Amino acid sequence: MILQHADTTSQEPLLQARAVSKHYGSVRALHEVDFEVYAGEIVALIGDNGAGKSTLAKIISGAETPDTGTLALRGASVNFESPADARKAGIETTYQDLALAPDLDVAANLFLGRELLRPGLLGTLDVLDRPAMRQSAQEHLREFGIRVTSIDQRVDTLSGGQRQSIAVARTVLWGSGIVIMDEPTAALGVAQTALVLQLVRAVSRKGTAVVFISHNLPHVFEVAHRIVVLRHGQRVGSLDPSSATMDNAVSLMTGAATTHA
Amino acid sequence: MTAQLALAQTRNPLGAVRWDLVMRLGLLAIIVALAVVFSITASGFATMQNVENNARQMAVVGILAVAETFVIITAGIDLSVGSLLGLAGIIIALGLSHGLMLPVALALVCGAGIGVGLINGSLISAASLPPFIVTLGMLGILRGLTQIFGNGQQVAYDSPSLTNFAANSTLGLPNIFLVFLAVCLVAAFVLHLTRRGRYMFAIGSNMESARRAGINVRATTLTVYAISGLLAALAGVLLTARQAQGDPNAGTGYELDAIAAAVLGGASLFGARGSIVGTFLGVVLVQIMANGLNLLNFDPQVARILEGALLILFVYLDRWRKPRLAAA
Ligand SMILES: Nc1ncnc2c1ncn2[C@@H]1O[C@H](COP(=O)(O)OP(=O)(O)OP(=O)(O)O)[C@@H](O)[C@H]1O
Ligand SMILES: [Mg+2]
Repeated sequence: MILQHADTTSQEPLLQARAVSKHYGSVRALHEVDFEVYAGEIVALIGDNGAGKSTLAKIISGAETPDTGTLALRGASVNFESPADARKAGIETTYQDLALAPDLDVAANLFLGRELLRPGLLGTLDVLDRPAMRQSAQEHLREFGIRVTSIDQRVDTLSGGQRQSIAVARTVLWGSGIVIMDEPTAALGVAQTALVLQLVRAVSRKGTAVVFISHNLPHVFEVAHRIVVLRHGQRVGSLDPSSATMDNAVSLMTGAATTHA
Repeated sequence: MTAQLALAQTRNPLGAVRWDLVMRLGLLAIIVALAVVFSITASGFATMQNVENNARQMAVVGILAVAETFVIITAGIDLSVGSLLGLAGIIIALGLSHGLMLPVALALVCGAGIGVGLINGSLISAASLPPFIVTLGMLGILRGLTQIFGNGQQVAYDSPSLTNFAANSTLGLPNIFLVFLAVCLVAAFVLHLTRRGRYMFAIGSNMESARRAGINVRATTLTVYAISGLLAALAGVLLTARQAQGDPNAGTGYELDAIAAAVLGGASLFGARGSIVGTFLGVVLVQIMANGLNLLNFDPQVARILEGALLILFVYLDRWRKPRLAAA
């Protein structure tokens, strides 16, 4: 497989997290985790349930703030107070719980927080441009290969997999610098999963960094340029999928082996 | 791309929207039916004078119901609007009786209403306290302040421009009702056509999702309670104008009538549902029912009983609109 593998030695990371720790009450979700991702790179983040993957994803996306540790974007230190800050920096996330607004329709969800306004005076009055959003949503879903009966369909009437597809589509649509996907294929069937993996590759080819969280090791090895393993809230190693095996990954995840790549 | 994510086989995707429409049309049908029945049975119902009276009477609670619609759509509640109405009514009466110019007194009252709303909104969004508790506390605080300010008495004032405005009509419609209509139009515009309105629905649908989508939940929540406060203050001014005096007990219990009207109109206390058209119909229904039964010499309590029963029935029927939501 020929991939534009980021040269991790010479280039500056697009995003770098250093010594990030996060506690929830007495639960230690993350402990001094370093994490980095380069432009155009697909990094898989793996680990057992409760290893801290989602917590790290939420910290990078501004949904949670770390107790200690720093984030740097293109070398410059950043402090995300909210997801809005991370979004402005080009970071877009598919959360594990999807984070859709169930009572709003598909188009409204795709444009949530990024609504188009009518041109001219009406726009100054904050008036939404519904037709433009519907049309654009329709076009993008078609481009991504996602079919909906109606763009006006409320999200809570979609199936779990359909909802997940919408969440992924929203992430891909807006992610300009970094795309984070927390188990984006968990609810998807075979064809839909293949489509998401295809989208992940397409996004990275445009130079966008992708953080891909999954429990499905074959998918991880198929799509990732680099694999970072978390265990009990700590980073226990990273693997090169072109040389490492799934057994290596499993032993790192379960603690049967420790390496530092 | 060869693979296709098929989102085609969902059952009745627009069912929820249609059911909303059915419920609103049902409300309208009940209103029309009641109007017809009362016109035939109650002498004096179908007179211009009575229509005007109804229009005048529904305006004050109607404006509060619009306020509740904003708040309820964000999955909140504002129990302080009745007390705030009373406080605003006393403040304007006191201000005018102490020689304040009407525009100054109005600005003062509107400022007070927005201020109370911002306090409610801050406690709810920044301190994460439950809206029910915050506004229940505010209900007591404001009523107490109103009694103290008014010394427990009616406050007389003399402002012909204000009392005349409330007594007069324009184009055959009472001015007070026109204010209510204008409030409805602006509210419908904000809620249903603007981005800020959509954020209110998004927050009511799932606050954390809204936050993660980059929506400023705190600012939107503050806005909603500030709007509610402003509208309650406006309602207080109108009531004081209509009664030509400030009454420290004015608005007691109105918050519940307002909430009931909004819910009859399709607003859901779980958030993200409600409309100004629905709320308007809810207000009209409650008003017509009370008025018609009154003209037929029923005990006023009968109207209350029917209103309560109808409220429960409507919420029960509304459950049929989205049977799948429980899983979402
Ligand atoms: N909001 C929270 N409150 C309390 N504890 C939390 C919270 N979020 C996460 N945790 C705890 O932090 C730890 C890491 O959770 P996290 O969700 O990051 O794991 P994960 O690697 O994503 O797991 P999974 O594969 O099951 O999604 C877990 O022990 C979890 O219980
Ligand atoms: Mg997780």
